[in-house]
Amino acid sequence: MVPAIELKGITKRFPGVLANDNVNLTVEEGEIHAVCGENGAGKSTLMKILYGMQPADEGTMNLFGEPHTFNSPNEAIDAGIGMVHQHFMLANQLTVLENVILGAEPTKQGGLIDFDTASKHLEEVGKAYGLTVDPFDLVESLEVGERQRVEIIKVLFRGAKILIFDEPTAVLVPQEVEELFRNMRELKANGATIIFIDHKLEEVLEIADTITVLRQGKTVATVKPADVSATDLAELMVGSELPTPQITDAKISDTIGITLDNVTVLDEDERPIVDAVSLEIRQGEILGIAGVEGNGQRELVGAILGTQKISDGSIFLMGDDISNKSVRSRRENGLGYIPQDRQEEGLLLTAPLWENAALGHQTAKPFSGGWNQWFIDREGSRSQTERIRREFDVRTPNVDVSAHALSGGNQQKLIVGREMVSEPSVLVASHPTRGIDVGAQASVWEQIRQARSNGLATLLISADLDELIGLSDVIVVMFRGRIVAQLNPSEITPRSLGAYMTGATSEENPA
Amino acid sequence: MILDQIRRLPTWARWASFATLGILVLTLVQELGQNETSHLTAMTTSQTALKWSIPILLAGLGGLFAERAGIINIGLEGMMILGTWFGAWGAFNFGPYSGILIGIIGGAIGGLIHAIATVGFGVDHIISGVAINILGPFAARFLSSEIFTGYQGGSVTQSPRVESVDKFTMPFLAGGYDTPNFLKWLGDKDIPILSDTGNIFRGVMTQTSWATIIALLLVPLSAWILWRTRFGLRVRISGEDPWAGESQGVNVYRYKFIAVMISGGLAGFGGAFITIEMSSIYQEGGTTGRGFIGLAALIFGNWRPGGILAAALLFGFPYALQFGDFDGFASHALLLVNAIALFGVTVWAIRKSKHADAAIAFVLGALSAIWYFVADTVPDWWVKILPYVIVIVVLIFFAQRLRMPAANGQIYRRGQT
Repeated sequence: MVPAIELKGITKRFPGVLANDNVNLTVEEGEIHAVCGENGAGKSTLMKILYGMQPADEGTMNLFGEPHTFNSPNEAIDAGIGMVHQHFMLANQLTVLENVILGAEPTKQGGLIDFDTASKHLEEVGKAYGLTVDPFDLVESLEVGERQRVEIIKVLFRGAKILIFDEPTAVLVPQEVEELFRNMRELKANGATIIFIDHKLEEVLEIADTITVLRQGKTVATVKPADVSATDLAELMVGSELPTPQITDAKISDTIGITLDNVTVLDEDERPIVDAVSLEIRQGEILGIAGVEGNGQRELVGAILGTQKISDGSIFLMGDDISNKSVRSRRENGLGYIPQDRQEEGLLLTAPLWENAALGHQTAKPFSGGWNQWFIDREGSRSQTERIRREFDVRTPNVDVSAHALSGGNQQKLIVGREMVSEPSVLVASHPTRGIDVGAQASVWEQIRQARSNGLATLLISADLDELIGLSDVIVVMFRGRIVAQLNPSEITPRSLGAYMTGATSEENPA
Repeated sequence: MILDQIRRLPTWARWASFATLGILVLTLVQELGQNETSHLTAMTTSQTALKWSIPILLAGLGGLFAERAGIINIGLEGMMILGTWFGAWGAFNFGPYSGILIGIIGGAIGGLIHAIATVGFGVDHIISGVAINILGPFAARFLSSEIFTGYQGGSVTQSPRVESVDKFTMPFLAGGYDTPNFLKWLGDKDIPILSDTGNIFRGVMTQTSWATIIALLLVPLSAWILWRTRFGLRVRISGEDPWAGESQGVNVYRYKFIAVMISGGLAGFGGAFITIEMSSIYQEGGTTGRGFIGLAALIFGNWRPGGILAAALLFGFPYALQFGDFDGFASHALLLVNAIALFGVTVWAIRKSKHADAAIAFVLGALSAIWYFVADTVPDWWVKILPYVIVIVVLIFFAQRLRMPAANGQIYRRGQT
């Protein structure tokens, strides 16, 4: 039988990144084919290429044996491919019907939309696949699950035979996931071919007929769910290299730097995105948080920093309850922060380095002075920035250049330096070495380690499992907003950690 | 409660009820007020009010098309100024109908510049709009100095006189085409409320310019285009969620572009209307900020054509009242109308449990009422500032209920989220 999709040798380069490296994917007609892999493994890029949102640099694509190249989603739609986006592509103030027919509106003379025909067609499509939704409801009045159904109907309305589901379960609660899987099986029974992007292993094993695993832009395996266990898949996803061991001396004090007590954060739909998390980090201790991105780490950081409102629980910084304190007072009381996106959150790219060095510390000496610290102390700021430049090896001609003139590694060293020179008692470091070169990475690690031996309590979040295992004294795993495991880094490997992160294992302690 | 009853009616009936309520208040104030005046409901007042509302309405509809497509058009004023100049030039050379058409084209050129900047180059909408507001008057002055100075009666600040378009008087109701004049008969009977209503309607049906009628027809036409046609749906998705539109193969840039051009064209129509129908002459500064009032009408009208019409009429009424109100009694009586309206808002706010709003409305209403009872006449600046006061008051109390298109004002770049 001719496969529905055959991708051969797909390669896609972005500046400095090889997103897809000679990827091969064959999807048979009428199957549910899961594509899984970690964040950054190249799943999304591959799907964007398939859906015509980005062109591939190399490789060929055959649909039902015919070669195709798409320059826009429109061409992919015409060829029978539809995408169910993870972030719904729906306009809230438009009706379901308007959202569905958009781009393929049945019209009468004069461009007048034939709403009767359209709603009849919509109901037929819905009935055929067992999807029900009122065409005249406003999208904003729908539940998340219903919105997803609208997304699916939208794709079917355009006559798609091949459906791409981009992490469809990420936004759903378990009951809605069951409903989605019922719908997917129904679609399959009606002859549709489905590509299902996911990294939740138990879900993949439940629904898929075939599984292709991507790692670092390459296809590492194509397997049948019956032949593999969740642990096997986890190993395929994260690889099984051993971490480079880091020698750490245990000088953890008894003083607790920061305490989180049952902290809960709700998302816009009032669902817990951080679910009753309790943590304690002592001075001189590094606590690493492992977890697939989007499991509440970002919101947890926001809760500690004060940018996310916590709906329940409390946070103590050096014994003081800071749950209702402003971001500024938390920072002034010794909370350091290395943000995960240095260009979005960490720096003002068009401002000079000395202004950037003052960010977050603008109310304290030596960055400000005068009555009640109301005035900026330019000289003090400059000399402090000079100090950061010297001590943290920020390579820059002077401290008056703007931040975007620095390389990523030097930008990061500036941020790390600015937090360290203010001598915080607690540091939140979110992906501190993401996207920087090896040299800068080693220097950032060294700084964190040094601060630790000086008695800093550090919360480290990282997607780099080697980094986590190497630096942390304790590792906890976050999954769906909860802490699902607390592990000793000396006893685990990236492989076993990966199994926890994807929810494949969830006992409190491994054997 | 009467307001709840009104809310359950279909849209047209609801608007009719509000209009009736308004006429009722005007009549009662006139009948029972301190000073005898008939000017509030006079035929000339409604006639002038309608005329004064039209430029505001057209600017508002212009804003509607742009903002439904997600482009804030603060440049309406500048486009309107282009409309006044091109309208005058066209009307002087080719007659009033061509004048309006050329005014529309003039405004659309302003729209084109705004579209190139905001859609093509991704310039911030406010910056581009302000640039057009600066460009418009200077372009008009430059063109005047180049062209109008060569005409008899023209100068750098004004054009020669231009003709107006033809007028229409409703047969039978208002006595057009030598038919009986029913509303005049009703008005002369001097029956409370009924005669006043008759006068108001007689005003809007007598000697109405065809340009006014076309502008009024644009209200249902805009609604039909935006909510019933494929073009309209695609314009609206461009303002609500352009990424969703693009993902379904809609060329968002194209629809934003066209919508901003339409927007400029409508503002240009408004400008041409000022020149051709109101002042019969192009005058520098003749728009007197009505492009901005149009933007306020758009917001007050909740980005809907019917609402924009209502707002335009509301804003136009105080302008009209100044004309022919020689004793100032009508302007004075307007204070009481104002007080009643604010007390209405107070009741509404109490029922919605918005206590702060209720308190503010009550205090403002009380001040208005006290002023009414203490003074016999009001200074003439009162009526002049009233349209702006209405804008501010309306925005204070109703801003939370308003909903602009979700992606309005965002710089949209294809492929970027």
